[in-house]
Amino acid sequence: MSVSKRSQAAAPKPQVKSRPKPNTRVGRNESFSDLLQIHRRLAKNSGRRLVQTPVSSFITVFVIAVSLLLPALLFSLNSNLTSVLAGFEDSAQVTLYLHAGISDADAKEVSNDLLSLETMNYASYISPAQALDEFGTATGLENLLQEMASNPLPGAIVVTPANVSPTAVDDLVRQLQDLPEVDLVQIDSRWLQRLAAISELVGAIGRVLSLIVILGLFFIVGNTIKLAVENRKAEIRVIKLVGGSDMFAARAFLYTGLFYGLGGGILAIALQGIVLVTFNSSLEALMQLYEGDFQLRGFSLANGLVVVLAGATIGWTAALLTSLRHIRGISP
Amino acid sequence: MIKFDNISKRYADGQEALVDVSFEVSRGELAFITGHSGAGKSTLLKLILAIESPSSGQLIANGINLSRISSKQIALHRRQIGTVFQDHQLLHDRSVFDNVALPLEICGYHPTDAGRRVRAALDKVGLLKKEKSFPAALSGGEQQRVGIARAVVNRPRIILADEPTGNLDPALSREVIEVFEQFQSVGVCLLVASHDASLVERLNCRTLVLDSGRLIADQKPRPDS
Repeated sequence: MSVSKRSQAAAPKPQVKSRPKPNTRVGRNESFSDLLQIHRRLAKNSGRRLVQTPVSSFITVFVIAVSLLLPALLFSLNSNLTSVLAGFEDSAQVTLYLHAGISDADAKEVSNDLLSLETMNYASYISPAQALDEFGTATGLENLLQEMASNPLPGAIVVTPANVSPTAVDDLVRQLQDLPEVDLVQIDSRWLQRLAAISELVGAIGRVLSLIVILGLFFIVGNTIKLAVENRKAEIRVIKLVGGSDMFAARAFLYTGLFYGLGGGILAIALQGIVLVTFNSSLEALMQLYEGDFQLRGFSLANGLVVVLAGATIGWTAALLTSLRHIRGISP
Repeated sequence: MIKFDNISKRYADGQEALVDVSFEVSRGELAFITGHSGAGKSTLLKLILAIESPSSGQLIANGINLSRISSKQIALHRRQIGTVFQDHQLLHDRSVFDNVALPLEICGYHPTDAGRRVRAALDKVGLLKKEKSFPAALSGGEQQRVGIARAVVNRPRIILADEPTGNLDPALSREVIEVFEQFQSVGVCLLVASHDASLVERLNCRTLVLDSGRLIADQKPRPDS
């Protein structure tokens, strides 16, 4: 080789005066498109490494997915319960049984008074005669009832409160109980309140479980990244020798963590889909027995995004923290 | 540029690697460090790179007191130093081009600018045609030259070289030294550890001789050349 000749022709001779100030900070000369190029390369390299070890990568992604699946399912169950409750909200009925001896005219006035209240959506008076009629039709005992000397049924006013939260309904019931014409107040939707309480509990369990899962995911991703750092010790040593900061060496691992988290999140959605479809067919069979029409709703787009974003964020953060910690410990 | 002031280095196992070493190498100077293996040549270079810290004495390189340097400063300090390692220290999953580009990548150079510098450095060591090869496909001598290209690509103020001609035949050795001399002529400070006595003798440069961690001679170039 004729090094010196060629270098004189092609290579710019180093000159002290024209030497640019040494660039000592990462990112100083990087425009947005440069950064994009760098990140595309880092992402590609990380992706390639993951694909090179498909089995262990998949196992990690699968473990992350299963961890994300548990709280996701609970939240999904909770949102299904909430939507069931929402469907019944309009029909949160309260029935006021009136004292015997209140005339139809008086009762109607009470009903109209109630309707004019802001807290009331709907109020309707059912006279004793009407009640007897309906009872007869419903039970098929019309003939028997006609034989009765007097109507044993009281008049009733059916109301629908505007605010259906348990406390508001309770307040209203107390208020209605105080009316002189009212004998008994009955909430037809007590079971809804119980369902709401259960839904609340499911939500609370979901939140606690989420915290535990986040911690667990940190350990899973952290341990995987720790092994990756260990495998590339030689490379990190070289990077440090030529002046790369810990952060520079860590950059390579951030996308690995991000990809694990993203993959786990997406797989979790898929698994959830499978679980919901499986449940749905047995639920349909049950609902047919009750002649009900209720379907488990799958993931909404927003729920899915939350799971994927949570996975990605946890993966990235865990990778950042662990890789920095272990890279710091490597000395050239 | 590099100033050793009564530097001693004692390793944790009690081994005395350097004992009371004092010398100074200034800008535009090319100095050799010779001595038998185990004489302390590598330790001396490690101290300048802040891989090890001195047990006693004061070491100043590039205006920085290395006895009191934070870990953040160490990375910045190493960016000002080009180092040729005895065992090359190349990244085997990257091409020759990417290996040489690493210091520029770390400093955040613009990719086009970096590309030009990398090719200029590879041209200097005669490996322009191998830029797409991977280190494993190169001979020991070629790997050595990739390491040299990486050391000079950033146009550092200080160049350290640990046995840079160890794997090279005499002709290639001479050309590597010519590259070093080019940098010397533009004010770079070079410190080259070598046990190639004939090369050192022929070149007539300043020579620091180490023996069992002690600096036993500081031979200035002969005035007749």
